[in-house]
This record gives sequence, C-alpha cells and structure tokens, in this order.
Amino acid sequence: MQEKDVIVEVKDLVKTFDGRTVLDGVNLKLRKGETTVIMGGSGCGKSTLLRHIIGSYVPDSGSITIFGKEITSLEESEFDKIRKKFGMVFQNSALFDSMNVEDNLSLALREHTELAEDIIKIMVKMKLELVGLRGFEKLMPSALSGGMRKRVGLARAIAMDPEIIFYDEPTAGLDPIVAGVIDKLILDLGKKLQITSIVVTHDMKSVFSVADRIAMLYEGKVIAEGTMEEIKHSKDPRVQQFITGSPDGPIKFFMDSGGYLEELTK
Amino acid sequence: MQITERKDNDIVIYSIKGDIDINSSPQVRESFEKLVNEKAMKIVINLAEVSYIDSSGLATLVEMLKKTRGYGGKIRLSNLAAKVRSLFEITKLEKLFDIYDTEEQVCADFK
Repeated sequence: MQEKDVIVEVKDLVKTFDGRTVLDGVNLKLRKGETTVIMGGSGCGKSTLLRHIIGSYVPDSGSITIFGKEITSLEESEFDKIRKKFGMVFQNSALFDSMNVEDNLSLALREHTELAEDIIKIMVKMKLELVGLRGFEKLMPSALSGGMRKRVGLARAIAMDPEIIFYDEPTAGLDPIVAGVIDKLILDLGKKLQITSIVVTHDMKSVFSVADRIAMLYEGKVIAEGTMEEIKHSKDPRVQQFITGSPDGPIKFFMDSGGYLEELTK
Repeated sequence: MQITERKDNDIVIYSIKGDIDINSSPQVRESFEKLVNEKAMKIVINLAEVSYIDSSGLATLVEMLKKTRGYGGKIRLSNLAAKVRSLFEITKLEKLFDIYDTEEQVCADFK
C-alpha cells in the first residue's frame, strides 16, 4: 500500500485526564477505502482516540493529520470544512426524538447545503433504501426498534456523502442477528461507496466480520496492528487473550488483592 | 464545473464537465429547470467528463427525469465513466434511466 493512500495519520498521541494517562503515544494510519477496526477492552482509550480524530478532544501532545492537514491546531472554521467529510454513527444512535426519520436525515443537508427541499427528499429516500428502511420516512424514532434506530443512524451518517465514517460501538446492545445486519451494512457501504470506515468496538464477531485492518489498543498504546489474519495469528498473548475472551492471561481485570483485608479492618 | 448546451435538430445535448456534488448540483438543477420550462422533448446528458457524482447529483437527475416525464419529454444519459456508472448501479438508478455508451447512439435512437 502506498503512503499516499493514508488519509488519517495519528502520531505519538498523548492524553491525560486527572493524572491518568489514557492515550500514551498512539500511532496509527488509516487508509482510503479500508475499514479499520480499533479494538480493545473497556477503558483502553479507544473511544478517547476516536474523539480526538473527530476533533472533540485536543491532545496533550502528538499530532493528527487528516487529508494532509494537521488538525490539532486548526482553526474551528477550517476544521468544520474537514468535518463535513465525516459521518458519525453513535453508540446510542443519537437520533433527535422530536423529529421523524426523514427530518433526522435531512437536518444536516438543510443546515449545511443550498440544496432544494425536493432534492433533499429524493436523497433521503436513496439513503433509506441503502439501509433497507425506505417507507419509514414519517415514523418517529420512538416507534423504531434498536436495530432500526441504528440503521437510521447509519443512513444519517451517509446523508452528506462522507469520505470517512466513524462507528462508535455500532453493534452494542443489539441481538446477534441485528448485529450481523449492521456489520453487513458497514461492509456494503464501505465497499460500494468506497468510504473509509473506522470502527471502534470490543465485539469480536463484528471485528472479524468488517475489518480490513485491525489495531488493538491496550493501556493507551497500539500493541498490535495488521490485517485480520495477522491479528488472528498474533503471538502477543494480550491479543490472543482478547480474541478468546479468556479471564486468565496477561490482561488483568481485577486489582491485586493485596491489602484487601487490612483495608476492610483499618 | 461547466455545462455546455448544443442542439442536433430537435435534440438538446447537455455536456457536463467536472464533479457533480453538493456544491455544484444546484447549478446543474438551475440549467435543467430552463429545459423543463422550455418543455424540451428530447434531452441527452453527456457525462463523459464527469468523474464523480454524489447523491445530490443523482437526486438532481432523478428530479429532472420526473419533471420531463410529466410533460411527455425524454431524458437519456450517455458516456458514463465506470465509477459513475457503478454509482447508478449501487443506487439502482440504472434501471430508471436510459443509459447509452455514446452520444451518437442516443441521438440515432432519438431520430
């Protein structure tokens, strides 16, 4: 893969919250048209990393380059131009409950473009067809199942024809079949529309369904990065423990029990 | 983006040059509205020099098709680049439009 295909590059990213280092020198490259999955346990920093890439957080040090521009020091108005090329699928779908499906999808188009309302209506139908929900335009989010809300969230993310889509835990809280449907949509949209996708998840089934490349984050660092096969056959015991979901291994889920009884009785 | 218009007898041929995206599609729509107001009956849109068309561009073509059909006019597309054609396929619009390989073929068919 040639270097020119890299559209997002994260270099030596460090972020500390209240003395706790959440990102500890993250390096990552995301390539055009590929789906990169950032996996890792709860609290490993993957959502924090995502929020840095979309510009919600400013790092303590390090850089993030998107479409060749260093974004961490960019003026807000300049960054807004880049943001228009992003689509975002949130964990909880983040639909506006007071708006019907059509209005949820139309909002950004009405706010950020000069497009006529008739054109927007046609675009909304096209996007809903892509996620299998054409005909649901007039329904309110409260009338939709969790999986349908997620699909509407996906349709909304592609409303502005983004070049990059960020998915934050896209299958969280969904039953296995609906999760499979969402994974298939992520794959289809990536391949058909040539969109670069970044998926943050700890759902291993989803990881191995959608990823072209996988990066595993652990204690604020990327400890493994590669294709699906490379990660599956990684010799790093931390990666293998995460893939198999074993409670025993180098990744500790419990604090050292030393001092427990003393603490209870002091 | 540039749009040039010429005529071959009663056929109006629009050639579009450049990407049709959220920024440029309102300009395309404006040009189309002129044709609709004139009730042009035979329209060819030559997309040879369009390398990318986004969903606002596709929606603009769909709206144009609806309007021309409304008064009995016909709109046909020609010279689609492979990437543009694949966007018509993904969105299933290739079944909606008459798509020809070359402008000459459309004109011959119209005549």
